[in-house]
This record gives sequence, structure tokens and C-alpha cells, in this order.
Amino acid sequence: MLEGLVNKLAETPWSIGLHESLYMYAITESTHVISIMLFVGTIAMVDFRLLGVSYRQVPVSQMLSRMLPWTVAGFVLLVTTGAMLFLAIPIRTYHSIWFRLKCIMILIAAVNIAVFTFKVERDKAAWDLGPVPRKSKICAAVSLGAWGCVIVFGRLIAYNWFDCDSINSPTLLELTGCPQDIG
Amino acid sequence: MSIYHTAQAIEASALGQTIRESTWLFPAIEATHLLALALLGGSVLIIALSVLGLGLKTAPAELCKSARPYMNGAIIALLITGILLGVSEPVKLYGRQAFWVKMISLAIALVITYFAFNPAVARGGRGVGVRTITGLTLAAWLMVAMAGRWIGFS
Repeated sequence: MLEGLVNKLAETPWSIGLHESLYMYAITESTHVISIMLFVGTIAMVDFRLLGVSYRQVPVSQMLSRMLPWTVAGFVLLVTTGAMLFLAIPIRTYHSIWFRLKCIMILIAAVNIAVFTFKVERDKAAWDLGPVPRKSKICAAVSLGAWGCVIVFGRLIAYNWFDCDSINSPTLLELTGCPQDIG
Repeated sequence: MSIYHTAQAIEASALGQTIRESTWLFPAIEATHLLALALLGGSVLIIALSVLGLGLKTAPAELCKSARPYMNGAIIALLITGILLGVSEPVKLYGRQAFWVKMISLAIALVITYFAFNPAVARGGRGVGVRTITGLTLAAWLMVAMAGRWIGFS
């Protein structure tokens, strides 16, 4: 079903237009990469605070509330440009092992944010300026690891090592959802 | 020796050949370059936003104590990985306008950061002077990042 949707997407004039445009694709991808500085950059600084290794003079509550708008701004830019990049090359991206791993990492990061928001930070008033609890450190470490992987896997989507036409192993064909007969 | 001949010599070097011929080395260095880019963005932004009154209320000079090791570390990592990427394909880079735009804006960004931004933030306050320098610093690094990505498209 998902695959049918992706195939349909590839036939839309929007997809073809983005794919064939001289500048639009490059501008979109550059914006995507530069927005990393805003999104992962601000997240990393907050995570270093939640790890208790830096910015210890800044209350945790202030660190979260004052940086969040910028992280959200980065997120909006990344999702918008990311969706456009997928739209430009839907079929290949859908089958990319790196894209799939990237999605898993984003999912892990999202669950981590949910755990932090609904469980970990609830009693943050108690450790706003004191030593950070273990649960905060764990969330920060998971966040740094997951977003780091998102950057690395995202960059690797550009490489064709595991494209449908260059893989043979049944496991890889299964993981990428590539058609078995062509592989 | 001209710049072009130097580029050819670097391209023929053992280091250049090793990176060029390996499947994983170039992408791995590239990915590290991007991770360091994120760190640079975060460490500069956290100070810059505070100076501009758009981020943390803590004094920017105070934040610097925590942010500067990340900033310096990120810049060192970016320079090392950047040089390694460049060493693997200097002849191609020589012919790309975006590369030279990036090198010039990089020089400007480094000078502004270390000779204007850092001292101005250390002097303290959120006056017009330090705000202007902060704006210029952000613009310079943005230019470096954009020109950097553009190397791959030109």
C-alpha cells in the first residue's frame, strides 16, 4: 500500500518538477543541511545541560523554554525541506536502507522526547539548578545518539551502495523492500 | 608552482589517493564534517541568541565559558575533516567557484569570530555594537555552510 502511494507520488508533476529543476532541488537540500545547525545544534546544547556537563549556571527550566522555539523552528524547516526532498526522489528514497534506518532513529528520538516530556521533566523544579538526576542524563544521551545517527544516515542516503540494482542478498532485498526479480 | 599544480600534487599524494579509493572513507569524513557543523551551529547560536535577547537570559559572557569548548572543538573538527575531504579531490575543487567562495567566507568567518565576536561577547552587555557583530558572525557562518553545500551541486 505504502509502495503504491510512493509510486503514485513519483508520477505527480510536483515530483518530476522538483527532480528536474536546476536550482530548486539544490536550494532545498542546502536549506535542509543548514537547518541541522539550528535543530540538532540547539538540541545538543540542551542535552549537554541535561547531562550536567555544561551550562550548569542556567536553570534547566529556562534552558528548555528559551531554546525550544528555535529547535521547533529548525524542525519545521527540516520537515518541510525533508518532505520536498522525498517528493523529488520518492521511489529510490523509499527503498533506501539508510532512509529506513534514519526513520527508525527519528522514531527513537521522538519516543525519547515523549518520555522526557511526560515523565522525566515533571519534577524538574527539584533539580532546576542542582545536580541532574540519572533519568535526565539517560534521555540526553539517547537524544544525542539518535540525532547524530539521523545526520549520518541522512548523509548516506546519497550513496548508491545498497540501491535496488546493486544488491543481491535476500536479507537486504527484504529490508529495502526491493523487487526480488530485478535484484 | 601554481595553485593548479599544487592541487595536482595533493591529488596524487598517498593521503588523497587513500581517501579517494576507499568506499567508506569519504562518506565517513563527510558525515563527521556534518556532525561538527551541528555542534558549531549550536554553540554559536546559544551565545548569539542570548546577545540578541532572543534566547537564554543568562549573560552571554557567562554562557561562553560552556559554549566555547564546543565551538573551538567543532571548528577544529570541521577544519580537519574539511582538509581531508579537500585533499581527496583538490583538482575538482580548484575549478569550482563555490569552493573559493567558501574559502573566502571561511577566512572572514574565522576572523570575525575570534577577533570581533569572542572579544565583544567577553566585554559583556547586549549593546548595538555586540549585536551588530553577532549578526555579522551568524551571516558569515551561514555563507560558509551554504557555499559548502553548493560545492556538491556546482
